[in-house]
Amino acid sequence: MQGLSSIGSQLIDLCSALLLLTCFAIVAQRRLSACVDLFALQSAVLFVTAALVAYLTKSHHIYIAAGLTGVIKVIVIPRVLKKVIDHLNVKRELVMHVNVPTGLLICGGLVMLAFFIAQPIIPLGPLLTRDSLAIALAIVLIGLFTMIARQQAVSQLVGFLVLENGLFLGATAATYGMPLVVELGVFFDVLIATLIAGIYTNRLQDAFNSVDTDQLTILKE
Amino acid sequence: MLNLLWILLGGYGAGILLPLCLPGRPASQRLTTSVAAIVATSAGVVLGLLGLTASEPVTGSLVSTIPLLTLEIRLDSLAAFFVFMISAVGLATSIYAVGYLRHSEKRASTAALGALFNGFLLCMTLVILADNAYFFLLAWELMSLLSYFLVVTEHEKAEVRYAGLFYLVMTHLGTAFIVTAFLIFFQNAGSFSFEAFRHPEHPLSEGMRTLVFLLALLGFGTKAGIVPLHVWLPYAHPVAPSHVSAVMSGVMIKTAIYGLIRVYFDFFGGQFPWWWGFTVLFLGAVSALLGVMYALMEHDLKRLLAFHSVENIGIILLGVGAGMIFQSYGLKELAALGLLAGLYHTINHAMFKALLFLGAGSLLYATQTRNMEEYGGLLRRMPWTGFFFLIGAVSISALPPTNGFVSEWLVFQTLFLSFQIPTVFLKLMLPIAAAILALTGVLALACFAKAFGIAFLAQPRSSHARHAEEVPVSMRIGQGILATLCVALGIAPIVVVPLLDQAVAPLTGRSIASKILAIDGWALAPGNVEFSSLSTPVLALLLVVSAMLGLGLAVALGGRLTIRRSKSWGCGITLTPRMEYTATGFVQPIKRVFSTIYQPTVKLETEFLIESRYFAKRRYFEFHIEPIFEKYLYDPLVAFLGTLADRLKVIQAGGLHLYLTYIFVTLIALLLLAV
Repeated sequence: MQGLSSIGSQLIDLCSALLLLTCFAIVAQRRLSACVDLFALQSAVLFVTAALVAYLTKSHHIYIAAGLTGVIKVIVIPRVLKKVIDHLNVKRELVMHVNVPTGLLICGGLVMLAFFIAQPIIPLGPLLTRDSLAIALAIVLIGLFTMIARQQAVSQLVGFLVLENGLFLGATAATYGMPLVVELGVFFDVLIATLIAGIYTNRLQDAFNSVDTDQLTILKE
Repeated sequence: MLNLLWILLGGYGAGILLPLCLPGRPASQRLTTSVAAIVATSAGVVLGLLGLTASEPVTGSLVSTIPLLTLEIRLDSLAAFFVFMISAVGLATSIYAVGYLRHSEKRASTAALGALFNGFLLCMTLVILADNAYFFLLAWELMSLLSYFLVVTEHEKAEVRYAGLFYLVMTHLGTAFIVTAFLIFFQNAGSFSFEAFRHPEHPLSEGMRTLVFLLALLGFGTKAGIVPLHVWLPYAHPVAPSHVSAVMSGVMIKTAIYGLIRVYFDFFGGQFPWWWGFTVLFLGAVSALLGVMYALMEHDLKRLLAFHSVENIGIILLGVGAGMIFQSYGLKELAALGLLAGLYHTINHAMFKALLFLGAGSLLYATQTRNMEEYGGLLRRMPWTGFFFLIGAVSISALPPTNGFVSEWLVFQTLFLSFQIPTVFLKLMLPIAAAILALTGVLALACFAKAFGIAFLAQPRSSHARHAEEVPVSMRIGQGILATLCVALGIAPIVVVPLLDQAVAPLTGRSIASKILAIDGWALAPGNVEFSSLSTPVLALLLVVSAMLGLGLAVALGGRLTIRRSKSWGCGITLTPRMEYTATGFVQPIKRVFSTIYQPTVKLETEFLIESRYFAKRRYFEFHIEPIFEKYLYDPLVAFLGTLADRLKVIQAGGLHLYLTYIFVTLIALLLLAV
């Protein structure tokens, strides 16, 4: 049992590290469709992580959450986003508020910050998923940062979804999952948010012939 | 009694739902709303009377799924008094509404109006019954919102929308203060229950108590219409449908008086320094005087009545404030007297102000205008409305034998008894307040001499007035009920005072009914019989007898009892309505005397004939009085908020990324702070 648990903990750490790595990849990637693919990959890793936690802690409701991650975040949402991208005329981030090397450096700083902040609470967490909490926080911060750094509505949406993945990891890691009702609610929210943002992006494309959200400032009086 | 409560709730509930279930049938909608409201208010009247005479408060509670919210109700004698008042006015106005709504059928949805009206009455009743701060605030806010929707019934007019917005802003400002006051109580007591507010484990600190006093005064004062927070009344009350104005002006603003008494006497247990009472007294005196003075200058009948509400709230606060001063000096019996006088005026004002608003509504119904200068000669065309309006006018002018006289007399007595206070300053101040009250009374009399004279006497001033007809029976019944109550409350204080004493005694700890009623039980004597006493039945009898005597004498000395109809002698020229005394002309002397306060601007332009400058062709006359509070208090405040908003616009650039960055930076900063 001890052995299994330690291997499990190692595996979860590995998965968390992979999640973080995909985050960096998303920050470095300019092509929109590639960003979506990377998000799907990240969600797949998250699915594995959640399933592992569910298996190791024998809490069955996490299986459901993991399954939902698999269906919604790996299949449905990427497909919706791909459809949106097909509709666009600009399929790359042309101008970014923060260029890629600086962005990567900032993200590195954010990871350090996350570990620094999580330091005092890490020993209090469950044995199995100790380091995941700091990584979850780092993913949340990076997701938020992506939303700020990017100009295209689609990549902002990806940033939002990454942020949500971070929250999910945090919830699974820190407390072995939120109550199922909350989990279901969150999934529903994310799905709806994606759909709405997708429609909104299409409308934006039609109205401005671009999905650069900076253009929204001209709506001001 | 709980059964009655269920009838009341069920009645209002039916009144809200049923009309909405009968689309496209305005006649049956009108009937169902009114019948439901009549059932509910009748239950409320009985409930109020039973609650006033009950020895123990009735309580009940219902746990809700919302955290911290428990639907606790408590019907003590104070609450019962207000429930009675709301229901009585509600009953009369619901009967009135049957006819009145026909008039507004084309302009507004009868179903919506009826449902909102029932909801409004229900929320007001719940405000009074609530025994939980959360529940109270919920009902309070709903009451404000529903009355807002009622105010903007005729929302096609820009004037109405402006009035509605004004009301909405002011009422929310007030609510914000009340919420803060209750949150301070909650912090201390750890529960939203009023029971916990009354008996907290640790009493509030002195500073907090003062803060709560001020917050409650500002918050409830906004709803009550204390100067300078009264500015919304003359906007909101006139534009609402008249039966709604009657309820808003007659009883809604009284819920604020209820709130003040509840907080000061119940939650604080009547423990406060003298200057609290003095502040209330001072604001009361200022409101009374300024209210009536602005009312005098109004020619829009409903605006005039709205300003009179400010005046009467002032008179109520004179009583309550004097009571608070006595209370802080331990003069419990006088405190009870002051409070009793205040409450007596509260119910009296509810009756006569509702009556007058219904009268104004009838005039509006018959003539389609609110401008007094277009009335005239209506007494002959609308004798019932005229008679009821006269009773209301006599009451509000505090003339015997009606109710306004009794309660103002009691307020006077309370103020005169100030010689028992040990402080010289207050010994001086209370009689000054009495003098202001006397001035107020005189000006109110002048105002209603104007209102009644211009509207009902002489010749019609416009074709509207010439073609006016008496209003339907239901509207007359509604006014008749209130008029009867006005006279009854005036003639029978010996019955009313013991009932009011039931409501006041738990607050001050003294029952004074037996002391006020003089030995034979037919007169009131607040101080002692030698100091002053009043027997209204005898007074009424005297009035009737002297009138009969005068008539008898006139006949005996050769007068005729037949009516002689002939033209007035007009120095040889035919009299036309244009020669009549106008409302503006009537108040001209008063405007001159108080020109410092009114700051009138008069514009007179004359257009001459081209041939000769000795003959005027046309003259233009225009006059305005300065709305001082709006100009010097509210306009600068609004302008200041505007500039502040302009400054804040810099950080609200509209960029999505900027907002995200704000969130990001705040998050990081908070996380770092937490480490």
